[in-house]
Amino acid sequence: MVAAPILDISDLWVSFPAYRAEPVRALKGVDLAIPPGEFIGLVGESGSGKTTLARAAMGLVPPPGIIERGQVLFNGRNMGQIEDEARRAVLGRELAMVIANPRAELNPVVPVGRQISNIVFYHLSVSRAEADRRALEMLRAVRIPDAERRFAAYPHELSGGMAQRVVIAIALACTPKLVISDDATSGLDVTVQTQVLDLLKTMVAEKGASALFITRDIAITAHYCSRIAVIFAGEIVELAPVATFFERPAHPYSITLLAAFSHSPELRLRWTRPPEVDAAPIPAGGCAFAARCVRRRERCLAEAPLLRPLAGGRSVRCHFPVDESVT
Amino acid sequence: MSALLEVQDLVKRFPLGGTRKTVQAVNGVEFTIDRGETLALVGESGSGKTTIGRCVTGLIEPTAGTISFDGKPMGRGRDIRSKGLRGRIQFVFQEPAESLDPRQRIGETLGEPLRYLGVTRADRERRVLDVARRLGLADSTLDQFPAELSAGQQQRVGIGRAVITDPELIVLDEPTSALDPTARAEIVDLLIRLQREFGTAYLFISHDLSTVRFLSHRVAVLYLGTIVEQAAAEALFARPLHPYSVGLLASVLLPNPRLKPSSAVTLEGEIPSPIDLPPGCSLAGRCPFVGERCRTTRPPPTAVGPAHYVSCFHHERVAALDRTVDHFARFQQESNRLLSVGADGN
Amino acid sequence: MMPLVRYIARRIVFVVPQLFGIVLVSFFLVKLIPGDPAVMMLGPTASAQSLAELRDKMGFTKPLLEQLTHYLADVARGDLGTSWQTTRPVTEDLFQRFPATLELVTFGLLLAIAIGFPLGVAAARLKRGVTRKVADYYGLLAGALPDFWLALVLIYVFYTVLGWIPAPLGRIDMAILPPPTISGSLVIDSLLAGDWEALRSSLGHLALPVLTLGLINAGPILKMTQSMTERTLSSDFVRYAEMCGLPRRVVLRQAVRAALPSVVTIISVLYGFLIGGAVLVEIVFSWGGAGQYAVQGVLNADLNPVLGFVVFSAVLSLVTYLIVDLIYFALDPRLRA
Repeated sequence: MVAAPILDISDLWVSFPAYRAEPVRALKGVDLAIPPGEFIGLVGESGSGKTTLARAAMGLVPPPGIIERGQVLFNGRNMGQIEDEARRAVLGRELAMVIANPRAELNPVVPVGRQISNIVFYHLSVSRAEADRRALEMLRAVRIPDAERRFAAYPHELSGGMAQRVVIAIALACTPKLVISDDATSGLDVTVQTQVLDLLKTMVAEKGASALFITRDIAITAHYCSRIAVIFAGEIVELAPVATFFERPAHPYSITLLAAFSHSPELRLRWTRPPEVDAAPIPAGGCAFAARCVRRRERCLAEAPLLRPLAGGRSVRCHFPVDESVT
Repeated sequence: MSALLEVQDLVKRFPLGGTRKTVQAVNGVEFTIDRGETLALVGESGSGKTTIGRCVTGLIEPTAGTISFDGKPMGRGRDIRSKGLRGRIQFVFQEPAESLDPRQRIGETLGEPLRYLGVTRADRERRVLDVARRLGLADSTLDQFPAELSAGQQQRVGIGRAVITDPELIVLDEPTSALDPTARAEIVDLLIRLQREFGTAYLFISHDLSTVRFLSHRVAVLYLGTIVEQAAAEALFARPLHPYSVGLLASVLLPNPRLKPSSAVTLEGEIPSPIDLPPGCSLAGRCPFVGERCRTTRPPPTAVGPAHYVSCFHHERVAALDRTVDHFARFQQESNRLLSVGADGN
Repeated sequence: MMPLVRYIARRIVFVVPQLFGIVLVSFFLVKLIPGDPAVMMLGPTASAQSLAELRDKMGFTKPLLEQLTHYLADVARGDLGTSWQTTRPVTEDLFQRFPATLELVTFGLLLAIAIGFPLGVAAARLKRGVTRKVADYYGLLAGALPDFWLALVLIYVFYTVLGWIPAPLGRIDMAILPPPTISGSLVIDSLLAGDWEALRSSLGHLALPVLTLGLINAGPILKMTQSMTERTLSSDFVRYAEMCGLPRRVVLRQAVRAALPSVVTIISVLYGFLIGGAVLVEIVFSWGGAGQYAVQGVLNADLNPVLGFVVFSAVLSLVTYLIVDLIYFALDPRLRA
């Protein structure tokens, strides 16, 4: 029997009302299920809706955004309708987030050890002394050198890499079931990035938790995830096991993401539709990617494709995916 | 023919406010750039690459060393704003949104450098239109404000503003770091095209090694203010000989799960602070090959191939390591195969 | 510890030139006050000769710079001159009057904090609703009302109409003997001496002036607390704390703590201001405070009390600011780097 997914997002529509205009739809019918223990990557560019998805998963859609349709179930609980108290009990404990830019988001006037200790203290109802002890343990587990001394350090006294480790310690302190990493390594030096990602992967796997790696950098998912979801304009356009995806991506947008790494401008151009300055605007009912797609045909303009399964355990939102062959 | 830009023994120290310590940003850097060539400076935080970029434009006064542009020295009041140099060296910034005047229309922003060169209005307008077309910007964009453009378009404008004076050298400081991958690729393609058309030389400062491999003729790897290795791009990526270069290249993730980063050299710990560096090789504290001499003497650059210099006493040991092939080349092969499939609906 | 000691030492070293500058400027300003002190002292019927003699004796005929040097030398010795109105040394007068002002201002400000701070936090937390509206209007009113007007209104209501408060004539009932002076505050000294009658009387007399100052100064404290707390509640680290599921009161506490430096700043500014700025309230209640004393000096061209008051309040302000900076030191570890 397949275990119930730890995060179950079904037909999620999130929109932000606009003044005297159509509401901005950040997410349009997203389906995503993460089973326990899986590492899945969510790749998209700015404005694709990936951060909104993370917030919705945490029940923290920023007002005035609302969940128009669909639901988000975390460990069986509906995060869109959860009470404030109940949500606070879940966040940081069963569902944790590793953020980017830690030095801006850690409390600047509280020592880092104490910040880890706070999470343990308020979530696990242990004594302060016990919370401090576990915090120190976490500092050692994330391989911060000289952990005893660094316990009393303030965020501004740490380097970017060390602050990121502290954030990982905070996220994992209560053994969560799902860790969401929101662009957690952007801004870090590339050697530090590898160290941090390795650490995150090891520690999450040790605790048997799942991880959702949200990133703009598709290369990270190739090495740290087993499944990848590509999001474009609020919709998931491709969902596939990593090995299959990087071997033979199916959606034209996925290919443009990979083409960005190519050293051949000619091949890249093959997949880029030149902007047509005076072309008629794409009718609303069609595929959201049609404006940029080199493979589009009549049907794409008229009918928005649904996410449908293909061979090899993947799904694609495209009428004419690039590769329909069986594995 | 002499090089376009020559940097010799460049040193820059910044005083640390309130104390007697100094930040040793640049510690004896030497390189040249020929006309029409792209030299990339790669490194992580504290490497000094941004400082070098600003010294080259004369906007920061070096503590020691010389920078010569077209045979004449820079610095000491002679910078890119000076009469003989105006428009010949240009700069492209990292954050496109912040480098464009939000109250000025794009057309005006693009034409602004020409105003300071005394170009007539009619000529200016003509050249602005010309540049906009080369940049792939629609004519209507010229009437818009920066806020109405995407980040990729904004950066095109930043480049356009640099290119419009027909410079001989452009210094680009992390021009693509703030962009999404697809926008990044477009900008890089644009830069290559412009270089082919205008013959401009680039000093490309970046930490994005994949782009650097593609765009540059030569690469200099910086660590804590020193060039640890300098070579032609293919040579460096195929056979890096400095432990830091190896470690750095090994951490680059490529979008292919089978091309795992190799761990031939593991660098312990993190980059130390550039304040009060100890004598000797700056990597000594982290290097797996460290020896006694490394801690006391700075390794001088040694030639190990045509125009390939390494500053390491143990580069031969690095060369002898059994390492896998050039991942970057392998990846390009795979990528080419992948991209050649069905673009036109097959 | 060392950076702290060095910090304090550096600040104390600067106090001397600061004080010097203040006294210098004040001296010249005071000399600009219209009115001939000699005429004021001897009256309009004095003869020209006695006037001249007096001027000579008081040193008014000497060059300005010489007068200044004399004065500075005196101040260095702790001699602030004599007031010709009270015929006593200014130092004595001030030591007698300053405690009254300080008692008034300190309790007044404490009340202002007690009213303004919680209201400010509540208003920041609850974006809509009654509390928010009350806070907005209160802030507006408190800034618009003159303090002496409010004082008179309060006297009318609580003394004239309701008779709850004793007559606004000084700090304590004239018939009661004041307790032995320990702190200078009648309330505290009565408490210490166990003198309940004096305590009741001094409290009664203190009530309205403190209420006046408290109500009015709560306004700026409220607005500052509210706006800073609102800002910190939308800052990155608060957002992160929410994502970590910390309880609401903990997050609020962290946000308020981050807003404290600005609130502390405005309290210290108010304190420095009120030492002289409470003079109107002092006059209405015949408080016998230092501000009143200085104003009398200005009106009668009695220069020494004025200068003496300036020196005293300058020292007090500088000490206050030093204490405030130390509080910042304790609040924000980034300053210790």
